[in-house]
Amino acid sequence: MYLTNKLKKYSKYFQLCLSILPLGILTGCDMIEFHPYDLDIDGETGINAKNIKRIESALQGKDAFSFVFISDTQRWYDETEDAVYAINQMENVDFVIHTGDLSDFGLKLEFELQRDILNKLDVPYVCLLGNHDCLATGQDVFRIIFGDENFSFHAGNTHFVCLNTNALEFDYSEAVPDFAYIENDLSNLPAGIARTIVAMHAAPYTEQFNNNIARVFQHYIDEYPSLQFCLAGHTHSLAVEDIFEDGIFYYTAPCIKKRTLLHFIFTPDSYTYETIPY
Amino acid sequence: MKQYLINILAILLFSIAFTPVIANPTDSLEAVLPRKWDKRIHQKYEGWERLRPTHVKYQYAGGMGVSAFGIGWDYGKRRQWETDFLVGFLPSKYADKFRLTFTVKQNYIPWSMSFDEHWALEPFYCGLYVTTIAGEEFWKQEPGRYPNRYYNFSTKLRPYIFIGQRINLNLDNNLIKHISLFYEISSCELYIISKITNSSLKMKDILRFSFGAKIQLFKD
Repeated sequence: MYLTNKLKKYSKYFQLCLSILPLGILTGCDMIEFHPYDLDIDGETGINAKNIKRIESALQGKDAFSFVFISDTQRWYDETEDAVYAINQMENVDFVIHTGDLSDFGLKLEFELQRDILNKLDVPYVCLLGNHDCLATGQDVFRIIFGDENFSFHAGNTHFVCLNTNALEFDYSEAVPDFAYIENDLSNLPAGIARTIVAMHAAPYTEQFNNNIARVFQHYIDEYPSLQFCLAGHTHSLAVEDIFEDGIFYYTAPCIKKRTLLHFIFTPDSYTYETIPY
Repeated sequence: MKQYLINILAILLFSIAFTPVIANPTDSLEAVLPRKWDKRIHQKYEGWERLRPTHVKYQYAGGMGVSAFGIGWDYGKRRQWETDFLVGFLPSKYADKFRLTFTVKQNYIPWSMSFDEHWALEPFYCGLYVTTIAGEEFWKQEPGRYPNRYYNFSTKLRPYIFIGQRINLNLDNNLIKHISLFYEISSCELYIISKITNSSLKMKDILRFSFGAKIQLFKD
């Protein structure tokens, strides 16, 4: 008799447990996932477009500015957080440019986590598409969270062209790099652009680049007004190279694990850069 | 489409090939030691009848699509092992287009607590599953355009581990023996790798909830 009473008590307890369950569903909404590669994205989207507006309006009419250049933050969340903290400590930084590989496996979660870390920056930032970001549905997630894979913006009188150069990922199914985009961008340049910087994830002569057209690419981007240099990531190590021996340097950022930031400072008629370990 | 068919065929073949072996408990009823709480007994089929599934399952979320439906077989002295084959789907709302998923799931349910003739609780169970998704952009092995071991993982096959709890309601029904409601907390290998290498990631970032129901079919 005692035992059956006790059992009934427990039975009620478990029915209570079941009724509490829906509460758990509501509170843990972002912990319900249909597939790691689905496109059910939590949080902010359209980052690049919003941040470009912020950069352009803050630097309008200026010919001096500075930016921090980072790349390849994939699956190094601790180091990326520290980088964000270090950048926020720096003075006179106008924006941050990230040349791709936010994700290691192309997972939706990786883009969301990286966005949430980079959103802690005090200054606006833009992200390029890396080769790892193209895996599975990664490119679709990138488009939603950050935006188009080819884009350009102005920092005062300086034009920034950000290009997808991960040709190996697309297996000739898409134009990578997209010369039509470059031509279109060139013909729509506003008046007053005095300098140009080209950013990409994979530099010419890396295995990702369509190397048959490497020289053609260089010829095309040389059409931009006063091309200063190119920015790239992908190789995970710091490098400054005059790849085509034409005086156009390619600056390659180390991966974030190496805890080194590149800081470029532009004055009206020249630029300098420094590497900042943190 | 061909890939879908191959996947379905592979799962069917797998189930046919392994079920008679796994659903063949060598133990007899007498060998089950009596437990105060655990009233589970495996009622086994004989011969080719062993191919008949012992239960059907439904699962919501957990990396196998919005919903997954499947059949399964239980075995072991106290039905403490279950192997399920589930087909799930991801509607075009959550993907670029409608996607199917295929999952093989292994459950280990060590304990059961029976409260009365109707209610029982399985306070802890665990297991693993491997889920695969249909679609050209997902690959088991890297396509030939990449240098060898360029990425070194598969975007198509995703292994998960999970723990969960179940509550059983026994029915006096000719067709349905009992219904179990369950929830699970799971994580896949890529999430676990990410957590191990980053102290800034929280458990909330890598753990995922899923919910489901099992319907135990009656042995006639």
